[in-house]
This record gives sequence, C-alpha cells and structure tokens, in this order.
Amino acid sequence: MIFTVSTGGIEKIITFHYKINQKQQSGNAFPTGTVFRFMLYKTNAKSILVTTAVVSWMLLLLNILITAEAINQPGAVKFSLPFINNILIVIFIVSVFLYQRLSSENLKGIDFIGYLWHLFSKAGVAAYLSVALFLGYRLISNYTNIDSPSLLHLMYQINFGLLIIFLAKAFYIWRQLLLYHKNKFLQIAWDWFELLIFGTLLLTLLNFNYTSYIFLPLLALLSFYILFLCTNLKWVAYLTFNNKSRSLVLLGAILLSCYIFINFFRQFADSPDLVIDYTDVGFLLLAMLFVGLYTLAAFLVSLFSLPTSSVFEQKSEDLLNFQRLSQSIQQGQSESQVYDMLFESTIKASDASAAWFELIRNSEPQVTHLLSINAEQITRIRHLLLAYNIQNIDYINNNLDRNPGFRDLTLPWKSLIILPIKSKNHLFGILYLLKDIEQGFDRETTNVLRTFTSQTILTIENLRLVNESLLNERYKEELKIATQVQESLIPKTFPTDSWFEISTHAVAAKEVGGDFYDFLQLSESRIAIIIGDVSGKGISAAFHMAQMKGIFHGLMQQDMPPSEFMKQANSALSRCIEKTSFITSALYIIDYRMKGFMFARAGHCHTLYYNSMMEDVFYFQTEGLGLGIIRDKSYNNHVREMYYDYNPNDVMVIYTDGIVEARSPDNEEYGEDRLKYMLTQTYHLEAEDIKCAIINDLEDFTGPGNLYDDQTLLVIKFKPTQQNDEPSRT
Amino acid sequence: MKITQEIKDNTIIMTLDGELDASSSVILDEELSDPKIMSYSKILVDCAKLNYISSAGLGVFISHLQRFEDAQIKLIFYNMQDKVRNVFEILGLDLLMTIVSDYEEARTVSNE
Repeated sequence: MIFTVSTGGIEKIITFHYKINQKQQSGNAFPTGTVFRFMLYKTNAKSILVTTAVVSWMLLLLNILITAEAINQPGAVKFSLPFINNILIVIFIVSVFLYQRLSSENLKGIDFIGYLWHLFSKAGVAAYLSVALFLGYRLISNYTNIDSPSLLHLMYQINFGLLIIFLAKAFYIWRQLLLYHKNKFLQIAWDWFELLIFGTLLLTLLNFNYTSYIFLPLLALLSFYILFLCTNLKWVAYLTFNNKSRSLVLLGAILLSCYIFINFFRQFADSPDLVIDYTDVGFLLLAMLFVGLYTLAAFLVSLFSLPTSSVFEQKSEDLLNFQRLSQSIQQGQSESQVYDMLFESTIKASDASAAWFELIRNSEPQVTHLLSINAEQITRIRHLLLAYNIQNIDYINNNLDRNPGFRDLTLPWKSLIILPIKSKNHLFGILYLLKDIEQGFDRETTNVLRTFTSQTILTIENLRLVNESLLNERYKEELKIATQVQESLIPKTFPTDSWFEISTHAVAAKEVGGDFYDFLQLSESRIAIIIGDVSGKGISAAFHMAQMKGIFHGLMQQDMPPSEFMKQANSALSRCIEKTSFITSALYIIDYRMKGFMFARAGHCHTLYYNSMMEDVFYFQTEGLGLGIIRDKSYNNHVREMYYDYNPNDVMVIYTDGIVEARSPDNEEYGEDRLKYMLTQTYHLEAEDIKCAIINDLEDFTGPGNLYDDQTLLVIKFKPTQQNDEPSRT
Repeated sequence: MKITQEIKDNTIIMTLDGELDASSSVILDEELSDPKIMSYSKILVDCAKLNYISSAGLGVFISHLQRFEDAQIKLIFYNMQDKVRNVFEILGLDLLMTIVSDYEEARTVSNE
C-alpha cells in the first residue's frame, strides 16, 4: 500500500513540474519573437522529454526490482502491477521517440554518410554496450555463483533502455532518409505509418495480447505497409562509389546491432525468471521490423548498385561540368579558363588516356594543354593527319591499329577522336583525345563530348560578344569626344556687320563628319570665308578637316589671293594626307570697300549666285581641281581665280555635295537645278529665311531620317550700303 | 557593285555596274592593285551602268592615276552617265583623266 501511494506522489510531482515548465514557457514566450519562442519551446520540450524518460525508466526499474524481490520471497504478499508497468513503458517509449523526433529535425543536407555515422555512433553502439553488459552479468553471476534476480532485471532493464534509444534514433534517421526527395503521397503515407505504429502502443497500454487473432491480421497489414515504405531508397543513388562502400560498412554495423537486440530479447522471451517481457510490446516488434528491414534494404540496394554507381557518378559530374561551363560568363572567367575546364571535363567524361588541345592563334595552331603525351608524339600524329587531310574536322577512329599509318607510328593508343571547337565562321581550337583501348569512343561518350564542345563554343562566343560590346562602348565614348572636338572647330558665330548677312546650316551624317567651313577677318573691310569637304567620313576625315583648318588659318595670316592659297594648301596637304584622300574646297575673300569678292574653287561644288541687277540666278562655272589629287607643281595649272563685283541684295549660296547629292526615297538626287530653282523663289528674303526655305525643301525631298552624307549650307546676302546704321542680323 | 574584266590583247575592259560607294570602292581598289594589271597598256572603263560614284570611289581612281601614268598605261573612261560625269567635272578630274563618249572613241583614243 505504501508503495502505491509513493508512486502516485511522484507522478503528481512530475505533472506539477510539467505545469511549471509550461507556465514558464508561455510567460517567457509572449514578449519575444516567434523564432525565439519556437526555439525556447523546443529546448524546453526536449528537457521535459529527457526528464520524463529518465524518471519513467527509473520508476519502471524500481517497480520491477520490487516485484522481482517479492516473487523471490515466498512469504511476501504477491502482487503485480502490470497496469502501472505498461503506463511507464509507454511513457518511456513515447518520450524517447518524441525526443529523437525533435532532434532529427536538425539533420539537414545530403551528407548521407553523416546520417549513417550519426546513427551508428550514437545508437548502434548501444547494442555492443548491451552485449558487454550481458557478458558482464554472466561473468559476475558465474564468478560469485549467486543467481541474483535483481542483477538480472537491472541488466535486462538497461538493455531495454538502450534498445529504445537505438530504435528511436534509427526510426527517425530512417525517416529523414526515406523522405528524401519526397512527394506528397509519400509524406501522407509516412504520417499514417507513424500514427498507426504509435497506435499499437494502445495495445500495450490496455494490456491486450497482440498475438491474439483479432490483432494479428492488423499487425500483418502494418508489416506490409512497412515493406512498402522500405522501397523508398532514393538517397542511395546519390552516393558515390566511395560513399557506398563506407555506407555498406556502417549499414552492416547497424544491421548487427539490430541482430544483437533481437537475439537478446528473444533469448529472454517468456523467461520464467523475469517479471516482465518486452517482446509482449507489439510496438517494439513493429519498430524493430521497420528499422531492421529498412537497414537491410539500404544495405542490399547499396551493395547491388555498387557496380553501377560509377556511371551515375560520371553523369552527375558531367552535369556539374556543363553547369560550370555555362556559368563561367557570369563568374567573369577568361577564355583560357574555359579551355582549362573543357580539357579537364572532356578527359574525365571520356576517361581518355592521353589528350592535347591546340588553340588557334592568328590561324596558327598552338598546343596549350597536354596530358600524357609529348610534343614529339603530337608532331608525328599531326603529320599523319595532314597526310590523310583530316585536320580540323570532326573525326573518330576507334581502331587505329587497322590503319597502317598509325600502326607505323608505334604509339600506345588505339582510339582517337578529334573535336574542333568551331563556330560557323571561326575556328577557336582543336581537341584531340586518345585512348589505349579499341572502340574507346562509343556513341554515348561522343555525344557527351560533343555537348561539351558545343557548350564551350557558345561560352567562348558569348565571352567575345561581351568583350566586344565593352570595347564598342569605349569607342562610342571616344567618338563622342571626337564629335565634341570637331564641333568646336566649326565657328558658331560669324562676325556681324552692316554690309552683309550670313546664315549657316551644318549637320553630320555620322558622329564625325568631313564637311567644314570657317572665316577669318583679314582687315577691317575684308573677310575670308572657306568651305570644304574631306573625302571619306569618320575619324580620319575629321583629322584632315582639322589639318585644313590649320592650313587655312596659317596661310591666310599672310593674306594671299585665293588661287595662291589653293596652290600652297595643295602642296601642304600632299605631304600629309593618305593617297586615296582628297579635299574639295572653295575660298572667298570679300572686300566690302571694293564691293567685290575674289574666289577660287578647288574641286568644290559650284557657287550659286543671284545677281540683283540682272535679276538672274546662276552657277559660277569655274575650273579648279580638288586638293591632294595632283601632288606636285603641275597642280598650279589647274586652279583659276575669279573676281566679281557684287551689288546690294545679291545672294551667294555656298554648299557641299551633301546638299545636291541628297537622295529622295525613290533614289533621285536633289540636284543643282532644284537648288537653283529654290533661290529664284526666295532671293528677296533675308539670308536666314532663304537658308530655312532651302533646308525645308531639302528635308521634304529626302524624307525624315534619310541622311547619308554631311550637309553644309551657307547663305550670304549683301546689303545696300545706305542701311549701314540699321542693326544687322547673323 | 559588280566589276567585270574582259581582256583583249593588251587591253583590259573593265565594266562597272552599280554604285561605287565606300564599301564597293575597296573591291575596285583590289582589282586595280593587282600587279598583273601592269602588264597591259590600256585600261578602258565602261561606265554605262555606273549610277553613282562617291568620293571614296573617286579616291581609288585618283590614287592609281599617277601609277598608271608612270607606267604609261592609258586609263580611259567611256559611256559615262551625265550625273557621274558632272561629279568628275566638278572635282576637275575631266581635265586630268580621259573621258570619252563611247567605246569606238575610247579605242581610237587609246591607239593614239
């Protein structure tokens, strides 16, 4: 009677302790975050579970020892408490399993060997410990010749504890592995399995015998369920050859642990010396069945997949290498690193015994990578390939011995594959792989190799595109600077004076153009105006234009007549511009005091003129050869000078060929006639308005966005002298 | 741009077809730079189908002009369209190069 009371007291203490813990937990939890709360809950739950397990196991031990002693004393009152025992067993089992369930959630990742090692080192050794205990017990009982039931029960009870720890650990580690790459169905199946297997604890709790006919079919069904679950062994496929061999050792050790426990408990099953028999607990049987079967299945699958694992290993490595190749651009790798990767990957993928890689630099092959082959052997093979004319093409020879040429080289290899790394219009390099066996490059291997090479080509091309676009970006920047420099070379404002108006228009077809114009005030009443067009476009044209500007300013400081300027400019330019370049130019020196202008034309477009006295619009038809065409003194015979007296309201239109050669969408030229017609319609307007009218008409003619050549237009209108005082416009 | 060559004795007849712009002038330059062209004494250029000539195209002829003159090779243009001829004239090349109206005239001029 005393005993029962005390047990109840302890149980009360446990529940009390539980409540305190729960209170503490909820009290702490509210002000803190969810994560912290969860962690707290987990640590608290774990410590509660450990306490519960230890206490329930101790109570169980105590209860059993007392019962065992009571049996041995014939005089004592015989009473057994199977109900309390069962409750304690169930509490112990549940708390240990729940504890393992919580700790197994920390296991993550795909280090399967780590899982197995964890299982073996923390639980598997329990079996060996139990063997040691058993042997120790035997030794003591034989040595002292005392048949102590307490000692036997203690040993049996400790082994029971070890078994539960082992089963719980194994159960939940197997769950992690079983649910690897799970689907929804598998998750549900497992949840039901866990529920059902814990449900069998009810049998123990209610002291039903599971061997009765009612429950046996149920248990049998559960066993089939277990069999089904044991087929989920996806993780084994992810083990490499080495890992599989290691896992076989660990699985074997775990299997042995299972065997030890089964054997031990079977030995003591229905033993008359024991007051309790754990083989009566159906749950343990099922858990052991699951752990044992799953271990066995994993062991067998690992064992039989061992020979094929190298294939899977190779495939997954190939995949990884593909990934590395395709990601090399993001990782900012260089071309040589890509070739390194190709060389290593293809050798691994094909298991080649020798290989070399030739990089094509300036259309000359250069051996950059070597494996188990020397330069002399390479030269001999290349000579032979050259003789057969099978260089730089896709080529496979799986039986070099049959080829007399290769046989004569007496090289140790029997298979050869040549893989050119080439895109549609560029050969980057050639990869040669050699194997010391016949039929070394089968279709499967060749396919993998080709995938590697095409991926490499893609990567290299993309790398080059990236570099090119970076370079283009730089060129664009430089061109922008050139444009700015050129713009600064063209005067923005002309001198304003009362006796003439001038209006200008200039657009460049590209970033930098070849047209230019400039002016220089020679004296108070004289101004020099130059217009020119450099053949070609782009940077070189811009340079020549800058030179021409320098020549203009340099020579005109000496104030010379236009024809003399052209001769000297021709001589100067002949020495500095390339052979295919030439410059057309026209120079006008307008003298306000003399009311006339002098001009010379060097291959430049004819000047359009409106004479207000005669009311006539015409082109000045003068002779004159472009600059830089004849590069000696004979040029002097090819330039003419002209003097013309102007009248007030006369208009002079100076332009470049970009104006008259502008094309309409129908590919017709704007032409001199249309320009002349435009002036006959507008000569009465002011210079600015004449210019606008011509440009508008030109744009109407060409249509929008149809600019192929630089266009420059200058309109000069001479004003009557009596308007001297009026403000003039530019 | 299409350039065809026809060889008659010591004469090359070069037919230009299309537009001689910056890109096609490179091809023309290659043709005229060919060393074996120096072994002929006359180059007749048929410009009947030459629709347009850019400054780059003119530049090619100009750059070879002196070389042909030194080697005493006659360069004669014929069948030139008016607008193309106008380009030659504005630049002053009509006084420097021989431009005639048709093939017959070109033959007679070349034999002078």
